[in-house]
Amino acid sequence: MTRMERRNLVNGLLFASPYILGFLLFMLYPLAMSFYYSFCQYNVIAKPIWIGWDNYHELFRDSDFTTALYNTLYFTVFSVPLSLAFSIGLALLLNQKVNGMSIYRTIFFLPTIVPVVASAVLWLWVLTPDGGLLNGLLLQFFGIRGPGWIADPAWSKPSLILMNLWTVGTAVVIFLAGLAEVPKELYEVADIDGAGPWGKFRNVTLPLITPTILFNLVMGLIAAFQYFTQVYVMTNGTGSPAKSTLLYALYLYKTSFNYLKMGYASAMAWLLFLVIFAATVLVMVSSKRWVHYHGE
Amino acid sequence: MDTELNSSLSLKRYVGFSILSLLGALFVAWLWPREAKTPEERQALAEGRVIITYWARHTGHEYEARKSLIDEFNRSQNRIYVRTVVIGSRIEKLLTAIAGAAPPDICSMGTSVLAQLALQGCFTPLEDRMKECPYLEEKDFFPHAWKMVCFDGHVWGIITTIDTTCLLWNKNAFRKAGLDPEKPPKTIAELEEYAAKLTIRSAAGIEQYGFVPWQPWDQTFLWGVMFGGKWWDENTGLLTCGSDPAIIRSLAWQQSFSIDPRSNSNPPYAVDPARTSQGRLGGAYQSANNPFYTGKVAMITEGEWQCTFIPKYAPDLDWGVAPVPQPEEVPPICNSQDGVADAIPSGSRHADEAWEFLKWFYSPRPDGRPSPASDYCMLIHNIPPRKEEALQERFIGDPKFGVFVRQLLERPAASFPTIPAAQFLSDIMDEQREQLLYRVVTPEQAAQTIEQATNAETRAAWKLAGRINP
Repeated sequence: MTRMERRNLVNGLLFASPYILGFLLFMLYPLAMSFYYSFCQYNVIAKPIWIGWDNYHELFRDSDFTTALYNTLYFTVFSVPLSLAFSIGLALLLNQKVNGMSIYRTIFFLPTIVPVVASAVLWLWVLTPDGGLLNGLLLQFFGIRGPGWIADPAWSKPSLILMNLWTVGTAVVIFLAGLAEVPKELYEVADIDGAGPWGKFRNVTLPLITPTILFNLVMGLIAAFQYFTQVYVMTNGTGSPAKSTLLYALYLYKTSFNYLKMGYASAMAWLLFLVIFAATVLVMVSSKRWVHYHGE
Repeated sequence: MDTELNSSLSLKRYVGFSILSLLGALFVAWLWPREAKTPEERQALAEGRVIITYWARHTGHEYEARKSLIDEFNRSQNRIYVRTVVIGSRIEKLLTAIAGAAPPDICSMGTSVLAQLALQGCFTPLEDRMKECPYLEEKDFFPHAWKMVCFDGHVWGIITTIDTTCLLWNKNAFRKAGLDPEKPPKTIAELEEYAAKLTIRSAAGIEQYGFVPWQPWDQTFLWGVMFGGKWWDENTGLLTCGSDPAIIRSLAWQQSFSIDPRSNSNPPYAVDPARTSQGRLGGAYQSANNPFYTGKVAMITEGEWQCTFIPKYAPDLDWGVAPVPQPEEVPPICNSQDGVADAIPSGSRHADEAWEFLKWFYSPRPDGRPSPASDYCMLIHNIPPRKEEALQERFIGDPKFGVFVRQLLERPAASFPTIPAAQFLSDIMDEQREQLLYRVVTPEQAAQTIEQATNAETRAAWKLAGRINP
């Protein structure tokens, strides 16, 4: 290494040092410590006691953990594909050449910028069994006495999934960008070949936005596995009724901050990381079969 | 030429970088926590006073009341200044503050989490200091209130406020149902009869709920007590509810209020649990839309703070207060579940000054007026935990508030178990009650699950603290 190169390296490191320091202190150190604590009994104040794999063994005997895992998988399996389909549908509608389209796009993006806690409180009112907006509308227009929604164990998870559709704004914007990338010529060719709207969507649009679908799928999966704030606000942190909304992140929070079992909660966090990692790898591997990049 | 340009460039770059670093350092210094944050605090520092930090659990008007009394202390002082910070009831903040060696000097805490935190070494024991204070002896307090702050042979806090539960009823709803508005139900049988008469159904659902045992929140502890049950053994610190027939009876009774979809003979007062869980009857608790204020629920079991809330949120409501109905054969008892206490966290840098403030707060004023602590209870309509203060005319003389207070003088009181797994117990009671209402478990199974799971949690907490449950 010449003197100049060494100086450049030092300068480079110096300029990058705020980030490097921040990363080491606020990311890598907590990550490493939480991994260490996952093998300990730890309550923040007392010194951690090394207990080996006990926390991980305990997890598989804990019925609440199984419930939380089931609830989260249920939520993810239904919420992610539904949100994807819903956002593609919305993006297609918002991609039409109609006057005032920017206003429509803004309207559909607005829920995304509403603070999560505020939107959770709003939905609490919408989904209130008696006197709530949704059941009020159902009764007034269809004469149906709506279900208990978030208060009913049978409807609480579908309620969360329904609620999650409200904030697809970001995915819609990304899909709109993806749609803009689809070459016009292909539609012209499809027109010449006599393809209808469905044929064009199925054979031109959909294959060409698969990279965007992949991105939104991965981000959606990660977000769904970590879904927390709304359910915390709406159930007062309990996961009620009858544990039906006890999602993984909520149980993790309860374990750590209500019962102060930080070691156990750290083990839960690392297991969640593994689950998300495995799901992402699975999607990425499968993507070779269904994602088409331009020019390939 | 090139070298000159390079060196002048890098010189400029270094100078620029140095200026930026300096500005950054100044910015950090500006953000750095200072000892005095307000003009009052700067003034106090200039006067050479010690600033101590008080973490308040109460929020809203309850905090304002506390703050007004602390201001009175600050005005009377030339040695100490108390800074108040609203923290609410989140215990993790206290833990992180203690772990980070920056705890407050005093913190206000719900008594239900006191044992859990004390076992982990969060507080300084206060018994030695309290012995020297004539108004803070064990004999001054209601026995159950004193026990709320005692755990593992130590006193961990001074109890500030306690609560009792009563039955509140809407007199207009009674009139409409043809019931005497001045005669509330006294027994469980009467409560069921009244609930049936006050439940108004229509095609669109239930217009008015007569009575829902789990409103406004889970009341499993209360009903166990009212049925004469014993939740725990104070000597072992372990739960015994799993085999207590009265507790099991109370759980079965709660279950009878939930519609059994497989039965054709549900009681007339039974309701759908999916529409009546906490906060689901519409309207925020602390608002004019509270279901009891709007008439959605005709009778409810509630605490004495409603004497402040109802005049504030529903001034036109015509309501009454009476002791909670009990089965006829059970001797009268009063539910006084929780309280709020002031504690000195471990590592407090000004423990002596903190104690000085607490002594002032809990002692009668030098001019003979009652203690600021009792004023605080009056301002927020909570019950003072010291008998002599509760007997003051301003508490006992109020026709509604007096009913809440008199119970403590006339009946034995039951409070929530002082165990390190109290938070867990509260959560699992709620969970098991829900499972019971949906008929996933039987009353016997629920009682046993509550006992076994909580005892396991209690033992684990002792073990984590390096101790064995005594």
